[in-house]
Amino acid sequence: MIGLVDGNNFFVSCERIFDPSLEGRPVAVLSNNDGCVISRSQEFKNLQIPMGTPYFQLREAEKYYGLIFRSSNYELYGDISRRIIAVLQEFAQDVEQYSIDEAFVQVPIDDLEECYRFGLFLRQRVLRWVGIPCGIGFAKTKTLAKIANHIGKKRPDGVFVMPDDPSAVLATVPVDEVWGVGRRLAPKLERLGIRNAQQLAEKDDEFLLKRFSIMLARTALELLGIPAVAADTLHDIAQSVTCSRSFGHPVVDFTDLAESVAHYAAQAAEHLRRDGLVAAGANVYFQYHPEPGPPPRDGGFTGTTLTFPTPTASTGDIIKAISPKLPAMFIPGRRYKKSGVVFFGLESTSHQQLQLFSSHQDDSRKERLATAMDNINRHYGRGTLFNLAEGISRPWSMKRERLTPSYTTNWEQLLQVK
Amino acid sequence: MSDHQPAETPDNALPPLMSDAVAAGFPSPAEQYVEGPLDLNELLVHRPAATFFVRAIGDSMVNAGIRPGDVLVVDRSLEATDRAVVIAAVNGELTVKLLRRDQHGVRLEAANPAYRPIVLQDDMDTRIFGVVTAVIHQFVRT
Repeated sequence: MIGLVDGNNFFVSCERIFDPSLEGRPVAVLSNNDGCVISRSQEFKNLQIPMGTPYFQLREAEKYYGLIFRSSNYELYGDISRRIIAVLQEFAQDVEQYSIDEAFVQVPIDDLEECYRFGLFLRQRVLRWVGIPCGIGFAKTKTLAKIANHIGKKRPDGVFVMPDDPSAVLATVPVDEVWGVGRRLAPKLERLGIRNAQQLAEKDDEFLLKRFSIMLARTALELLGIPAVAADTLHDIAQSVTCSRSFGHPVVDFTDLAESVAHYAAQAAEHLRRDGLVAAGANVYFQYHPEPGPPPRDGGFTGTTLTFPTPTASTGDIIKAISPKLPAMFIPGRRYKKSGVVFFGLESTSHQQLQLFSSHQDDSRKERLATAMDNINRHYGRGTLFNLAEGISRPWSMKRERLTPSYTTNWEQLLQVK
Repeated sequence: MSDHQPAETPDNALPPLMSDAVAAGFPSPAEQYVEGPLDLNELLVHRPAATFFVRAIGDSMVNAGIRPGDVLVVDRSLEATDRAVVIAAVNGELTVKLLRRDQHGVRLEAANPAYRPIVLQDDMDTRIFGVVTAVIHQFVRT
């Protein structure tokens, strides 16, 4: 079975590990520059304040309801995210991090009841060892696991296993909530009478291929329980952009590993720019094989979390930030099977620039400049022009007025206990 | 090279220098290197994913050897048993205390007569952050 493990209200839950006074209170984490709400506690959700609400609109409500806000602490969230992956790695066979708060796991269990009990066990481990409550959904395919996860999250036990015949469950899922469908595609599907996931699953894949895309045809197959989404593809979702690949052969050389990371970072950065996004930071990881020995050694992950001086989508900036961190991650003598980069703290550039420039005109000028510089850099290689870019973007540096300490990544900022 | 070695049981295949630590249950990547430098993580951190560091302030635990400024190694994967030194949430704040679980109930005691015990009534699971496994007291901060 494939499981999707997802941290509930992840950023807020990370903040709560170190501050028990946040329990039971309406807490939200704000985006880069303390712009808008990006993570909400259940109590905050109960007040019907939607995701993405700008902070300035909530000043009155803050006093009235006693809302608590935190700036995004990506150093902390990245570290907690890596800990969760490490725990999953200990108990599941194959772990694929999908975003900062989601990971797919492969488990060699076919029995639904046994799978459910394993899910409860896994959830308890992550909650006890790391301190994060998770939702877990199991199914035969990733697309179904994603749906199972949505259902699991809403249950008190946090775990849901998709039945062998998922049709009754799928009939309750609106089509726009299916992984890979999205809001743009949903209206077109609805016009064809495809309103829920079951109706999409039943649609002839030849028809979907012809009228839509191979991706949608694959999604329909996945809903039928037939795995059709490649394990290692570039995903883009609301909160992060991930790029990772398994190597064809085990990689042992540091230079090769570093090159692979640079390559994925460049690809993902291009993706960010195409979608008009910037990232606040990234998780970088290497995964290595177990060694049969003697002595036998477990496989595992090694990784690091970093934040960029300013949110960015520039390949040069990103590689410049990542490269110095790589040597410390490298464990000599291991055979590596995979490397990856997960971006987080994504924000659209138009939104960010609106805060800094008074008009849309300035906005587009800024964008044209960035594009021109991208072109020049392509022609003449990366170098001095990026320094100029940094100089220009310095006024963007992040406002984080409600930032908690880097409890897990800085000796000077450890939690103090009496 | 291993092809030419005689068949060995897993036990005597372990590097001799580290065999004690392995028997004591410290699975660590470092145990593979017989000649490698000693790594304090191997000694102090049993389960990295569940281990957090915090800094002690105040004097409530001085008689347990915890002085202000010390770094505490906290393992969340260990069960909090009677007489464990734990980090627990009290009134919305994390604090270091001695856990007592006996016929008188569950309470947190300071290791300093100037402080009163705190009786824990509600669900212990949600109140205990983790078990303190070591104290790092530095004479010289570098």
